[in-house]
Amino acid sequence: MKNQMLSRKHSETLFYVLLDIPALLLVIAFIIIPIFDSIVKSFMAYGVRNIISGTPGVWNDFKNYLYIFKLDVFSMATVNTFAFVIGVVLVQFVLAILLALTLNTDIKGARFMRSIMMTPWVVPTVISALIWMWIFQPQYGLLKYLVGVISGSRITDFAILNNPTTALSGVGIAALWKQIPLMTLLFLAGLQNVPQDIMEAAMIDGAGKFRRFFSIILPYLSPVIKVSVSMSIIENFKQFPLFWTMTGGGPNNSTTTLAVLSYREAFVRNDLGSGAAVTTLWMVMMIVVVFMYNRVYRTREVV
Amino acid sequence: MKHVIHSIKDDTLLFNIVKYLVLALIFLFLLFPLYWVLVTAFKTNMEAYMVPPTFFPKDFTVDSFVKLFTVNNQFFIYYKNNLIVSAAVALICCAVSVFSGYSLARFKHRWSRWVFALLLASQMFPIISRMISLYSILGKLGIINSLGGLILAILAAQVPFCIILMSSFFSGIPLEIEEAAYVDGANKSTILFRIVVPLVKSGLLAVGIYAFLMTWDDYLHAATLIQNDARRTLSVGIALRYLGELSYDWSLVNTISIVGTVPVVLIFFFFQKYMIKGLVAGAVKG
Repeated sequence: MKNQMLSRKHSETLFYVLLDIPALLLVIAFIIIPIFDSIVKSFMAYGVRNIISGTPGVWNDFKNYLYIFKLDVFSMATVNTFAFVIGVVLVQFVLAILLALTLNTDIKGARFMRSIMMTPWVVPTVISALIWMWIFQPQYGLLKYLVGVISGSRITDFAILNNPTTALSGVGIAALWKQIPLMTLLFLAGLQNVPQDIMEAAMIDGAGKFRRFFSIILPYLSPVIKVSVSMSIIENFKQFPLFWTMTGGGPNNSTTTLAVLSYREAFVRNDLGSGAAVTTLWMVMMIVVVFMYNRVYRTREVV
Repeated sequence: MKHVIHSIKDDTLLFNIVKYLVLALIFLFLLFPLYWVLVTAFKTNMEAYMVPPTFFPKDFTVDSFVKLFTVNNQFFIYYKNNLIVSAAVALICCAVSVFSGYSLARFKHRWSRWVFALLLASQMFPIISRMISLYSILGKLGIINSLGGLILAILAAQVPFCIILMSSFFSGIPLEIEEAAYVDGANKSTILFRIVVPLVKSGLLAVGIYAFLMTWDDYLHAATLIQNDARRTLSVGIALRYLGELSYDWSLVNTISIVGTVPVVLIFFFFQKYMIKGLVAGAVKG
């Protein structure tokens, strides 16, 4: 009897492990091995020539890293990446929480608004880049016209993507447009966890709107905030198609991020080794940021 | 009593004004660009370039749509490829997510914790980093520049989130149902495919649609793994063919934007109920 139980348990274990095989094969073959392989390649002289002739790369004494560190554009790309992530995530957080709070009240048509709000999230990334490029267009764009009207025809050449000081914000606007809906949706779901009786009790005790927000809503929303903000950090850290379509990294590298730099090194200059060196450094930064974010969040929760 | 009611409804007039203003501004930001693309596509090229711009087409025309279907029909090759790749990824992703999602939800063992950690971590790596090496790996396997290779590469990127999503639906099914069938002598695979899977149909739909939408959006996999124009997918095709020159044909670009977005918007709104439930479940669990 005991033996039979044991064999049943064994076959069950085998069944569960077998179920995981297809997913594990896919993830290991197309994610884990390539990631490790790209880290290895970052220490090698490896170009398109190696792929064509089938010759393996050769260890080159950290030359790829030395080359990358010497590029002025590497530090610029790092600063741009962080500026983009911090800017987009902060603004997105504020706007999404405002939108979620207003949609969670008893205003008319909230249901309809909640569903139509999601449309930008569905629009493909390259197409959202096109939509904003048309609005930002230097000669016929709507924004140039509106800025002209508002400034009383004093600013007549407003081209957000062509100016090195504003180009990053221009791409940021397109990113916000596409990402605010999902974060709002997650916050709306999180707001369902805020107990109504505690809110009412606080109101009767005379707690004002801001007090209620910071002392009741925010703590109950905290787990959802943690997840959605970390999702947003990772997504914006990795953002590529928006930059590549809208600016290609220009003007004057003002929108060159680590994603753009690594793509350019690997697939435009065809130096896969140097490209891999950039992506390796980029991954290390991302892991550090996500780790620190989780640490900061945990200590704040304890307090 | 009156005082209490008053204090519960403590929305002042000013607060209400600010509230509706915030709502209106954010909605303007989210929806106006869509309206703007739509009206531009129905304008003549002359009117699209007019200053000041018109907010409603004066000469309503479908010329740019006709032009897209007759002159620029290369677009529909990209479109068809995108459809094939997205549908294939969605279908295979559903199968893989059912297998691993069930295992993740029911198999309480150290193994599952490792699989879960692996899935979480693999969502973090940048696509470019994988492509640098997949480019040569797929080349060696002889599946570079083929839709099959592209499907496998994208599939691997979608599978982790989809499995976590699927497992949250499996966790919602009470164990008693399975135990009853188990006592009746049904084996594990019969229980899974005959009893449990039919109960998570809505979750399966959410996973399939999510995978479809994400694959429809793909740019980087196709940009690096496909060089043959006849096998290009939508995003890369648009970027290479219609954005190459210095001055774009903006009526055409706006028309392409609409035609490229319509299928996913339709799918999303048709299955919205499942999608929203799925997105929330997947994100909060993951």
